[in-house]
Amino acid sequence: MPHIEIDGQAIEVAPGTTIMEAAESLGIYIPFFCYHPKLSVAANCRMCLVDVEKAPKPLPACATPVADGMKVATASRKAKMAQQGVLEFLLINHPLDCPICDQGGECPLQDITMGFANPHSHYTEEKRVVEDKNIGPLIATEMTRCIQCTRCVRFGQEIGGIMELGATGRGEHMAIGTYVAKAVQSELSGNMIDLCPVGALTSKPFRYKARSWELKHTPGLCPHCSTGCNTDVQSLGREVLRVLPRANQAVNEDWICDKGRYAYTGLQAEDRVTQPLLRVDGVWCEASWAEALDAALSGLEQMIARHGAGRLAGLISAQSSNEELLLFQALLRGLGSPHVDHRLRQQDFRADAAMPTYPALNMALEDLEREPVVLLCHAFPRQQQPLTNHRLRKSVLQGGKVIAIDSLRRDFNYPVTQLVADAGADLALYEALCSQLSGHAEKADAVPLAHVASDLLAADNPLILIGSALLHHPQAAAMIAQIETLAELAGGRVGWLAQEANSAGAWLSGCVPHRLPGGHTAPAPGLPADALWDADMRGFVLLGTEPGVDAMRGAAALAALQKAEFVLSITQFAGEAKQYADVILPMAAFAEGSGSFVNNEGRLQSFRAAVKMPGEARPAWKILRVLGDGLKLSGFQFNELSEVTAAWQHAIGDYALDVPPFHAFPTLEPVPEPMSADGLCRLGDWSIYQGDPLVRRAAPLAQPAVAKMHPDQAKALALRGDSVEISSHCGKISLPLVLDVRIPMGTVWVPAGYNETAALGATYATCAVTMATLPAVAASA
Amino acid sequence: MLSEKSLAEIARERAKYPADQARSALLAALRIAQEEQGYLSDAVMEYVADLLGIPAIQVYEVATFYSMYDLQPVGRHKLCVCGSVSCFLNGSDAILQHLSERLGVGLGETTADGLFTLQEVECLGACKDAPMLQVGDHYYGNLTPESLDALLAELRGGADDVR
Repeated sequence: MPHIEIDGQAIEVAPGTTIMEAAESLGIYIPFFCYHPKLSVAANCRMCLVDVEKAPKPLPACATPVADGMKVATASRKAKMAQQGVLEFLLINHPLDCPICDQGGECPLQDITMGFANPHSHYTEEKRVVEDKNIGPLIATEMTRCIQCTRCVRFGQEIGGIMELGATGRGEHMAIGTYVAKAVQSELSGNMIDLCPVGALTSKPFRYKARSWELKHTPGLCPHCSTGCNTDVQSLGREVLRVLPRANQAVNEDWICDKGRYAYTGLQAEDRVTQPLLRVDGVWCEASWAEALDAALSGLEQMIARHGAGRLAGLISAQSSNEELLLFQALLRGLGSPHVDHRLRQQDFRADAAMPTYPALNMALEDLEREPVVLLCHAFPRQQQPLTNHRLRKSVLQGGKVIAIDSLRRDFNYPVTQLVADAGADLALYEALCSQLSGHAEKADAVPLAHVASDLLAADNPLILIGSALLHHPQAAAMIAQIETLAELAGGRVGWLAQEANSAGAWLSGCVPHRLPGGHTAPAPGLPADALWDADMRGFVLLGTEPGVDAMRGAAALAALQKAEFVLSITQFAGEAKQYADVILPMAAFAEGSGSFVNNEGRLQSFRAAVKMPGEARPAWKILRVLGDGLKLSGFQFNELSEVTAAWQHAIGDYALDVPPFHAFPTLEPVPEPMSADGLCRLGDWSIYQGDPLVRRAAPLAQPAVAKMHPDQAKALALRGDSVEISSHCGKISLPLVLDVRIPMGTVWVPAGYNETAALGATYATCAVTMATLPAVAASA
Repeated sequence: MLSEKSLAEIARERAKYPADQARSALLAALRIAQEEQGYLSDAVMEYVADLLGIPAIQVYEVATFYSMYDLQPVGRHKLCVCGSVSCFLNGSDAILQHLSERLGVGLGETTADGLFTLQEVECLGACKDAPMLQVGDHYYGNLTPESLDALLAELRGGADDVR
């Protein structure tokens, strides 16, 4: 182990350690721009030059490994001259426009210039100017400020997994950009803003909104997927202005995805509801809380008196906190309704009894990085859990193998062996893999399948991850049963990739019709979400959810809600609720409330409000408490959130981090084959920026709905032009068509989560695609 | 987008490097593409990226770094005048000035007849003949206004290779 000395302090470090790392462990600060512990070493900014004894020239600390007996001076005359020289060069072309730069106040170039530069510059010539690039709605560029540290370039290559930015030109003409003007596509692109040590890349939605020192920082928790990324919510007054990652190496490392970073922009949506609303003779009017609560209570009581509590159902978003989930199910069950659910996107519930206590990854996120063989079952974590995906990417870069089974080829940002099911034959693919694994397959079976089987058999205890999208399949139950068999045959273990930020909490808190809080079996199970639409329900309580786009069969959900006698919607946004609700109660949105989530690992994390709620909005737990109290239910006597949290902990008990991935399977009643022989199988899922009410309203993230189809399929159907009509047994929509070779033959991809596509009904159903009938155009001469 | 012959040549270059280092074949692939197409359009750069299985931006980086790659259509003859130290001290400015006047185009521009493109390039390693320029695969040294006029006349006369 080399012994070295930095600024007179001796330290012994592992061979291969750099001077930068050794100094860091001694607490000695060496200034730098291009160095980043999570990125490769480029050593191109030269800011970290230090004076090494016996070396003829100053050496870059970030790229110089220590050698035994090395004596380093970080503040000698030679080191200081080097630092001053480098800064003078870096500032030659920097515009020094700090007063109008968003980076001002949190800018390493500013800070290091203050700390290390010679106040006088010799430079009197013209500065270079670099044209700005438009790289999409998320990142603002001011490329004249760029000091070419290439952190953003290396981030794209090494972390994002798709290299979109590069350094074009040479010498003085070198500039960072995309070359061909286009929007950056990576779902992690916002992190480049944090990495940029100057104001060249800044947040576009945040541009000119505030100075960094004015912002209040509140530790937050991202509510947009099951990874549970830690965030730093930055606000000014009552407005959330920015969401940045809060480093937590065990969860999100130093990153967050663009969904978590920019979804806050949806808080300003036009249909944000800040005052209780009542429908009076078909007209919406604002009401006081007292009036609205009276209306809600009497509406519920009357509905129950007329039809019985068995005709009342409750649906809650799995973005709700544990406290809200616990009170929500207590409210419904207290009123006598067993119909409580959060799984609006699921269509096959036959395996409910076999489901685990909660969808648990059954391992630490960090350990995913070291998995040698992972099988993803209908999981596309790049869109569904971007930072969990990053762990898998790291495992692949270190030689791990990821195999994915899915209905279509996915655009992973690392090499993945992909098995794609024939149109609608997803279950058959799992069955075929099982027979390969058991050795019963005929030799003529497809080669890739045999390769995957031998990979799984060769692996020691491979990890099998069930994706959130698998549950959306009409034969999900049978597929889950096959996966259990598959795991046994392959000698592997199973983990679940949970969908929402608090899916785990929703299961634990008993927001499923067949389990009570703590995972205890409900004595009288209710109906699952999708069955409610056809069950002649007369009353609904909704919390934080918009079934018209959140439910698998959006149109059916809307029809059922409109038909119901009484609908109470506790929500942040009134847009959809106004179509069917009778009472709308405004609740706290992201960053306005406090509570706790259980992430995919089973990690219990809490968050607190960053800003005050707008208008008359109230935290959902308080609304539920008042409703429970008003309905004279027991167990609603809370004054503080901490009391609810304690009640939750009491009800759930000490839940295990690793849970058996399956309970005993019930006999699965066969379901009709989803596909008929003619027509196309409609694939589709909630795309990354359509998954919940808040992110749907985030304008900078919005992506238009498009149908996708294999070019050969489009040719076979003689589809020309760019707009098509898609019809299923329940509705007809028209969308622009994009050709994509990743979509298998016999299928068409139509994303869910859009108002435009809700009419089409469930995914994996048969549909027909025809040319859109365009309005008649007068024939030209 | 590229001919069979070019594709075969690129494949031969590609085979020289390990399987996971496709980027190494990029310089050669771009040269072959430019020889066939005359210049590197965005489309051909993207095509080469796909061919080698590397991100398009890596192709742009390389193509914009080296002055020998042309990203815009060029004339039939590219007059690459060296402007580095030895040539500069021996009057490369006057050479450029003379060519610019004779051709009626500025640096980086192409004559209306599509015959000539005028470029200034960095040292081509022929300092003993300074001032010098390169046309096609050949160097022409010890340039004077008279020798330039003669060269232009010959090139205009249809010669590809003037010695």
